Amino acid sequence: MPRRRDDDDDDVEEEELEEEEDDEEEDYLEDEDDGGGRGGRGGGGGGGGKKRRRSQFIDDVAEEDDEEDEEEDDVGRGSRHKQKRRSGSQYFDLEAVVDTDDDEEEEEGEDDFIVDGGADLPDEVDGRRMHRRPLLPREDEQEDVEALERSIQARYARSSHSEYDEETTDVEQQALLPSVRDPKLWMVKCAMGHEREVAVCLMQKYVDKVSELQIRSAIALDHLKGYVYIEADKEAHVKEACKGLRNIYSAKVTLVPIKEMTDVLSVEKKAIDISRDTWVRMKIGMYKGDLAKVVDVDDVRQKVMVKLVPRIDLQALANKLEGREVGKKKAFVPPPRFLNIEEVRELHIRVERRKDPNTGDYHENIAGMMFKDGFLLKNVSMKSIITTNIQPTFDELEKFRKPEDGDGDMASLSTLFTNRKKGHFMKGDAVIVVRGDLKNLMGWVEKVEEEIVHIRPNMKGLPRTLAVNEKDLCKYFKPGDHVKVVTGAQEGATGMVVKVDGHVLILVSDTTKEDIRVFADNVVESSEVTTGITRIGDYELHDLVLLDNMSFGVIIRVESEAFQVLKGVPDRPEVALVKLREIKSKIERKTNAQDRSRNVVSVKDVVRIMEGPCKGKQGPVEHIFRGVLFIIDRHHLEHAGYICAKAQSCVVVGGSRANGDRNGNSLSSRFSSLRASPFRVPPSPGRPPRGGPPSSGGRHRGGRGHDSLIGSDVKIRLGPYKGYRGRVVDINGQNVRVELQSQMKVVTVNRDQVSDNVQVSAPFRDTPRYGLGSETPMHPSRTPLHPIMTPMRDPGATPIHDGMRTPMRDRAWNPYVPMSPPRDNWEDGNPASWGTSPQYQQPGTPPARPYEAPTPGSGWANTPGGSYSEAGTPRESSGAYASAPSPYLPSTPGQPMTPSSTSYLPGTPGGQPMTPGGGGLDIMSPTIGGDSDGPWLMTDIWVNVRRPGEDSTVGIVRDVLPDGTCKISLESTGNGETITTVINEIEIVAPRKSDKIKIMSGPQRGATGKLIGIDGTDGIVKVDDTLDVKILDMDILAKLAQ
Amino acid sequence: MFFHIVLERNMQLHPRHFGPHLRDKLVAKLMKDVEGTCSGRHGFVVAITGVDNIGKGLIRDGTGFVTFPVKYQCVVFRPFKGEILEAVVTMVNKMGFFAEAGPVQIFVSNHLIPDDMEFQAGDVPNYTTSDGSVKIQKESEVRLKIIGTRVDATEIFCIGTIKDDFLGVINDPGASS
Repeated sequence: MPRRRDDDDDDVEEEELEEEEDDEEEDYLEDEDDGGGRGGRGGGGGGGGKKRRRSQFIDDVAEEDDEEDEEEDDVGRGSRHKQKRRSGSQYFDLEAVVDTDDDEEEEEGEDDFIVDGGADLPDEVDGRRMHRRPLLPREDEQEDVEALERSIQARYARSSHSEYDEETTDVEQQALLPSVRDPKLWMVKCAMGHEREVAVCLMQKYVDKVSELQIRSAIALDHLKGYVYIEADKEAHVKEACKGLRNIYSAKVTLVPIKEMTDVLSVEKKAIDISRDTWVRMKIGMYKGDLAKVVDVDDVRQKVMVKLVPRIDLQALANKLEGREVGKKKAFVPPPRFLNIEEVRELHIRVERRKDPNTGDYHENIAGMMFKDGFLLKNVSMKSIITTNIQPTFDELEKFRKPEDGDGDMASLSTLFTNRKKGHFMKGDAVIVVRGDLKNLMGWVEKVEEEIVHIRPNMKGLPRTLAVNEKDLCKYFKPGDHVKVVTGAQEGATGMVVKVDGHVLILVSDTTKEDIRVFADNVVESSEVTTGITRIGDYELHDLVLLDNMSFGVIIRVESEAFQVLKGVPDRPEVALVKLREIKSKIERKTNAQDRSRNVVSVKDVVRIMEGPCKGKQGPVEHIFRGVLFIIDRHHLEHAGYICAKAQSCVVVGGSRANGDRNGNSLSSRFSSLRASPFRVPPSPGRPPRGGPPSSGGRHRGGRGHDSLIGSDVKIRLGPYKGYRGRVVDINGQNVRVELQSQMKVVTVNRDQVSDNVQVSAPFRDTPRYGLGSETPMHPSRTPLHPIMTPMRDPGATPIHDGMRTPMRDRAWNPYVPMSPPRDNWEDGNPASWGTSPQYQQPGTPPARPYEAPTPGSGWANTPGGSYSEAGTPRESSGAYASAPSPYLPSTPGQPMTPSSTSYLPGTPGGQPMTPGGGGLDIMSPTIGGDSDGPWLMTDIWVNVRRPGEDSTVGIVRDVLPDGTCKISLESTGNGETITTVINEIEIVAPRKSDKIKIMSGPQRGATGKLIGIDGTDGIVKVDDTLDVKILDMDILAKLAQ
Repeated sequence: MFFHIVLERNMQLHPRHFGPHLRDKLVAKLMKDVEGTCSGRHGFVVAITGVDNIGKGLIRDGTGFVTFPVKYQCVVFRPFKGEILEAVVTMVNKMGFFAEAGPVQIFVSNHLIPDDMEFQAGDVPNYTTSDGSVKIQKESEVRLKIIGTRVDATEIFCIGTIKDDFLGVINDPGASS
C-alpha cells in the first residue's frame, strides 16, 4: 500500500517536530510503529511505489478533509490511529505552506509531490530517517506488531523522553552536542538548484541499497545553494555514497568542524506564543494586513480562530447565494465593517444561529462563515498569521473594543507588551502590575534584570522589592504628569497627562494643546518641552518658506516627512501639507509693510487685526512677506498660533502711532504717512504702491503728477517710435511729448505707450541738470526721510528718536509731502528726483545756515546717542518701546529743540543738516527699495491674478497705471478680456528654466533675458541686450510674455 | 500660592543715570525688569515691595555699565500641583477651556470637566450641564484644582480639573447679564 509510505514520512516529520510537542510523543511512537511495519513493506516495493505515493501526498496535503473521511472509511484502524493520522497530516500542511515557492515546483511538473513531501522532507529530516531506516527491514520480518511496538518503544524511549523533553536543563542539552565520537558532517558540492534532488537521490539510493551505504543522513538546506551536507563517519563513506550520482561533485568533500555542526541544523526559533487575546495580523488573503484577535488556539491542528472585522460585500454575497452574477472577480477589497444581521436578513441571506459545540457560545452562520457580534470568526492556519511585532493602532483597537469586553482592555493591551523594546523600564519608573496575583499593585522600578523587573511596591506589608516579569508590568502615570512620547506615531511629542484610561493616556500636547492618545508604554516622564521633531533639512518650525508655486507660508507643524504650512493667504486660513522638496527656499529677508494707518510694521511689532476672519486678534508679527503679516496670537489655538493677515487690515499697537498721540500733536499721522511714503507713494507709474489704496496714491499724484513725469526719462513701448528713449517735455492729457535722445526731435505719443522705468543703472550724477533749480523744495522733503529711516531699522530706538524729531520735521515737510516720492524715484532712475539731489550742492541754497544752527545739529547728534545707549541694553529699550512709553519724555534730550523748527521753515529747506550730497541717499535708498515688498510690476509679464472669491487666473500685465492698478489681459478667458486690478491681487508667475524673463528690480530692471538655469533661489539669466550672464534672485525675475 | 520672598539680582545701569537719582533709577529699572517675569523656581514676580540692599557697583570694562547687586523683597505667585485656584475663563473650545488666574494660564481639558457637562458650539461656545443649570463660558469664574504644571522660561502653564467636589463655576457674569 503506497499509503503506508507516506505514513512513514509522517512519522519522520513528527520526530522532527517532537521538540515542540512532547505531549504527543505517545502518539508518535505508535504511529511510528505502524509506519515502521508499513514502511518496510513499502520499501520492498521499491521505487515503483514512488509515483503513486506522490499522488497520495497530494490528497493528504491539499484535501485534508478528504483524507479524514477516507480514514473513517478505513475501519481496520482504530480511532486512535485516525487521530494520529491527522496529526501527521497537519505537518504536511505546514510544509506545504512554507514551500510553495520552491523552485522545484516547476521541475516536477504536474505532480507536486516532491515539493510537498518528498523534496521537502529530506532537507531537515533525512538524517534521522536514514539512520533509522536500517531498523526497518528487520522489523518487517517480525509478524508480531505488538512486539514491534515494544521494541520501538524501548528503542526510542530514551531519546523521546530525554532529548526532547522541554524540561531538560542546559547541562543535558550540552550533553547532546556532537562530540568527536559522533558521525561527522561533510559538506559536498552539488549542482546549484539541485540540492534537494541530490538529497532525495541519496535517500532513494539508501532505500535501494541499504547495506552498501554507510552514510547516516543527507541534508539539503534551503538557504545554502550548491552544497549538501552528508553525515557519515568517514569521508570514504561519503564518496562511496556519491558515486554514480549526477549533480553531486564528490571530488571536494569538506569536513564541518564539530563546533559548527550545530549551526548547520539549528533552526530559527519559531517562538509561536499564541494565546487567546493575542493580537495578530493576517498574512494572506483578502484580510491581509488586517488586525485580528485570537479567540481560540488549536495547537494540535496548528489552527487558530481569529476574530476579524469582516470585509464582506453583502450584496455580492446575496447575489452569489441566489445564483446571479457570479464569477465576476472583484477588483477591490470591501472595506472592513461590522456585520449587521438585520442588513443581512434584508438581503434575504439565510442566517443560521448555531451553538458552538466547544465553547457553547452562539454565533451566526452565514454562507459558511461564522459571525459573532458583528465580527467574523475565522479559522486560519498558524502559518497564515503574523504574531510578532504587532503594533495595533488606536483606530484598530477601538474597533475591537466592544462593551462586553469590559476590562478586557487591559488584558488585551497587555499582549502588546511582548513587542516592546529592550530596556523599556528604567529605575524609578512608576509601574503597575497588570497580570497575575499582584494585579493592580503599584510600585517603582528598583532594578531591571533582563525580563525580570524588581519593583518596590507602594503597599505596606510587602517585601521591600518584588521580582515581576516585565510582561506583567505596565508603566503608570497620573493625570498631571508631564511626559514625552518616545515611540509610536506621536513620537517626540510632549504633553501633560489629563486622563488615564487603562493603558491609554490622554495628553494635552504642549504645543498644539490638542489631545493625544498614546499607550502608557510609549511614554516616559519628562520635563522637556518639545513639539517632536522641529526641523527637516534646512527648514525649521515657524520658518517662512517660499513654495514651488511662488506661494509662501509659515511652517506650523513638522511631521515625519512633511510640513504643515500656513499659506500666506490672508482671507482664510489655508493649510497645506508640503513635502520637503516642494519648498523652494526659506525667506529670511527682513521686510517691512505698512498697516492700515500706514505705519511701518516690522517684525516683532505688536499688531491688532482690524478686519477679516481673525478680527480683534492681536500679537507680535513674526514674518512679513509681500504685504502679508504672520502674527502669533497666544490665544489662537489653530495653526500653532499663527494668523495670516494683510498688513493693511492690521494696526500697530503701541508703536509709532501711540507715540505720536502721546506727544500731543496730530502730526504723527502725517508724519507716519510720510515715513511710510517711500513704500506707498509710487515713484513713477511703473511702480505703483503695493499697499495703499489707489485713491490716496492718486491724490498725491494728482497734484504733482505732471511734474513727476515731466523731465523723466522714458522709453516708448509702442507705436512707430517703439524702443526710443527720451525725456518727457510736456504732458497734455493722454499725450506725452517726448524729446528723443537719439534724434533731435520731439514726438507726441500716447501716455500709455511710454514706459518710464528706464534703466536704473543710469548714473546718478548724469541727470542732475534736468531738474536744476526748479525742484528745490523737493529736497528738504527728502532729507528728513533719512533720520526717519533709522527708527525703522531699529525699533528699539525709535521712540526717543521720533519723539524728539517729529515736530520739527513735520513742520518742514508738510508742504512737500507729495514730493517725497521722488526720493524713492531716484532708485528708479527717475530724473525728476535726480534733479533734486544736486540741490545739496547747490550754492544758491543756504546750506550753511542749518549747519550752523546748533539745534538741529545737536538734536541730530543726540538722537543717535540716545538710541545707542538704549541699544546697549536691548531688553530695556524694547520694553520701553512696547509698553512703557514714559521714558521717552525724560530721556529725550531733543525735546527742548522743538521751537527750533523755525529754522526748518520751508524757505530754507535746502540746508537739512544731514545729507551732504547723494552719499546719504546712496545708503538709504537700496534699503528702502529692498525693503519694500517685492519687485514692482512691469508690463509684459505673466502674472497670477488672485481675487478674493475667485480662482487665480493667469494673465499678462499690459499696463501699469499710475494709480497703483494695472491692466491685465487674461489668457484663460480667451484673448480679449482685460481687467484692471490692484497689485495686491497679482502674483508674478515664476519663470522656469529657458523661459524668457524680465528683470523686475535691481540695476537691470526692465531688461529682458532668458533664464538658462536655476540654482536654489538664484536664477542664471542671460540678458538679451548685453548677452551677459547674470545670477539674479529668482524673486525679481518674471516670466515675459512673448 | 503667593510668597513674599527676598531675591537678588545684578542690575546693569548705564552711566548716564549716575547722579543724585541713581538709586531711584536703579529701583525703577529693577521694577521694570523684574515685575511680571517668571522663573521656574519662584514663579511670577508680582510686585516688588522693597529694596533691602544695593551692593557696590562694579564698572564693567569696555561698556561703562555698572553692575549693582540688588536685594529686594517681592511677592511671587507660583502655582502648585494640587492647589485650588479661582480663575476666569478666557476661552472655551471643544478640547476644554482656558482660564487665567492672574498671570497663570490654566487649561482644563474636557476629560477633566464633569461628564455631565457637554460642549455647546456656537456663538458663545460653552460647557453646559444637561439641565442647563451650570454653564461655563468666557468670563465665567471657576474654581479649579491644578493637577499639573509646566514651567517654561517665560510662562507657567497649568492643567486643571473641575472634576472634583466643590469645583466648578463660582460666578458667571455672562449668565446673569
